[in-house]
Amino acid sequence: MVQRVLEVDKLKVGIRDDGRKISIVNGISFHLHKGETLGIVGESGCGKSMTSLSLMGLLPPGVERHDGDVRLGDLRFKDFTKKDWRKIRGKKISMIFQEPMSSLNPVYTIGEQIMEMILSHEKVSKKAARARALEMLKLVGIPRPEQVLDEYPYQLSGGMRQRVMIAIALSCNPEVLIADEPTTALDVTIQAQILELMKDIQNKLHMSIVLITHDLGVVAEMCDRVIVMYAGEVVEESSVVELFDHPKHPYTKGLIASLPDVEEQREYLSSIPGVVPAPGNMPSGCRFAPRCSLAHDRCIETPPQFTTESGSQVKCWLFEEKESEVAAT
Amino acid sequence: MTKEQKVLLKVENLKKHFPVKGGIFGNKTLQHVKAVDGVSFEVMEGETFGIVGESGCGKSTTGRTILRLLEPTEGNIYFQGRNLAELNNSGMRKLRKDIQIVFQDPFASLNPRMKIQDIIEEPLINFGVTDRKERERRLLEVADQVGLTPAQLTRFPHEFSGGQRQRIGIARALISKPKLIIADEPVSALDVSIQSQVLNLMRDLQKELGLTYIFISHDLSVVKHFCDRIGVMYLGKMVEIAEKSRLYDKPMHPYAEALLSALPSPHPLKKKKRIILKGDVPSPSNPPSGCTFHPRCASCMDICKTDQPTLQVVEDQHAVSCHLYTEAGKHSFAAGEPV
Repeated sequence: MVQRVLEVDKLKVGIRDDGRKISIVNGISFHLHKGETLGIVGESGCGKSMTSLSLMGLLPPGVERHDGDVRLGDLRFKDFTKKDWRKIRGKKISMIFQEPMSSLNPVYTIGEQIMEMILSHEKVSKKAARARALEMLKLVGIPRPEQVLDEYPYQLSGGMRQRVMIAIALSCNPEVLIADEPTTALDVTIQAQILELMKDIQNKLHMSIVLITHDLGVVAEMCDRVIVMYAGEVVEESSVVELFDHPKHPYTKGLIASLPDVEEQREYLSSIPGVVPAPGNMPSGCRFAPRCSLAHDRCIETPPQFTTESGSQVKCWLFEEKESEVAAT
Repeated sequence: MTKEQKVLLKVENLKKHFPVKGGIFGNKTLQHVKAVDGVSFEVMEGETFGIVGESGCGKSTTGRTILRLLEPTEGNIYFQGRNLAELNNSGMRKLRKDIQIVFQDPFASLNPRMKIQDIIEEPLINFGVTDRKERERRLLEVADQVGLTPAQLTRFPHEFSGGQRQRIGIARALISKPKLIIADEPVSALDVSIQSQVLNLMRDLQKELGLTYIFISHDLSVVKHFCDRIGVMYLGKMVEIAEKSRLYDKPMHPYAEALLSALPSPHPLKKKKRIILKGDVPSPSNPPSGCTFHPRCASCMDICKTDQPTLQVVEDQHAVSCHLYTEAGKHSFAAGEPV
């Protein structure tokens, strides 16, 4: 069996409002195999970024983990102190962010920022750390790396800054890389460069990647397995080919159908009516039911559970019913 | 596109240069950022003309300069035969009744202290419709067209989601009954499922009201879906203009080709051959000599480094600005110069 490097178990993340717990991420579970790329897709507000931040112990003030656990190898995040987190972050699990412009410190040189990471995790001399930083810049394909080492972030373009971010994230050889919308702020031609680079480095270092994105094109390009999130819950999990060929959940179907297809011309795009419900005001049954064209009474009353359907996991009554019919006969 | 179509808007050699100030008192002009540098194109009545390009290529500046929200540095803009660049401010104000704009960020383009009805109605007051009943009639009409209920009109912008705000922005643009709408990245800030709602709405409105759109976007698949003809911009210049199916099937300019190939494939098994461009877009304040794309171009010839190509119709309304398709360029290639 393939080794699982990361396991998320019924993770619940949310805020407190007058003592009332409002969950943003509502009990999601998934796992990551060694060397694979897992995509997390969903629209804004579905909780995908909160999921990734809780994997890094970086939840913003006011947002907390209500329940559930994350396991990384034999580590359990549940009983981590601040100090434990500092040891893990960057060393075992690392993250790159959406905005390469604002995630680098403008008053330190590129070299200093990469060295900071190395020096805080490994007992090496400054000289060795600098040599390692140079090596990392070469790995991520930055032209004239010797000079860039002593330059400041403002001197680099968006694509180059994202490469530096990747260099920092990978400088201590983490097992898991979390990439939160790594190419959203970049132009398509630069996006193509960065995606190519991430694939290349993954092969070289045998890393596992969690790729969070709203762009299904990027998912098709990069991922092995995908989980689809809607309103704080996972609604479908499947291999990438299965997801695009046979999407199962009505939300996934709608999402894929609303993409403009470059090869096929249609006059109108299909769209999903309505908007995502707000946290704290979620429907009591299936959370997608109010926007679903196939919803019936049961969907509105009771939330569905996961069912396995030709290799995919899907959370929808349509599939559960089929199964119970089979069981009855 | 049929030949009988009338030209609604004609842009000729449009330039917009922004001065970069410096010196001790900040009063010296050091150089110019050539955001738009000699762009020419025509927009036919009833069509959707797309402008695509990466950030900083001047596509938004082009849109705003047409409306004279930014004063053009040089060039002519003919709208129904009248040159907008020569109109004075009050003349231009009147003409904006016919040309309206929808902005990218639906969160920043609506005044948070105004009610929706006041936001939508404001252009009418601006254009001198004093009759309150008439204004209200128009308000309800456009609200219905974009799918807003009368009850929603008394609310404030913060109560709406991104997609609904964009509907409000569209309603505001529609109320003066414009002929041309410049849509500057109208769906980029929206999620895919909402994006398709807005695009479908815009298409319905076009059919119903006979609108002409200039659709500015960086998203190649949206542009392909929505536009009839497309112009590709790079560093302030239009490098290729063609009918959409021609452009996507057979891009001629090396930049357009690379741009289209960079688009992520819509299916995991349909991996396509990708041209990865080296380097970044150069700064528009100091563009490269000759063809501005030459330092990143895989088919760069000697002539490209010195001579600037011009936009020429190569075949069947497919215009491209590249030496690969000019006589001088072919000559240069045949002479066996290093490529």
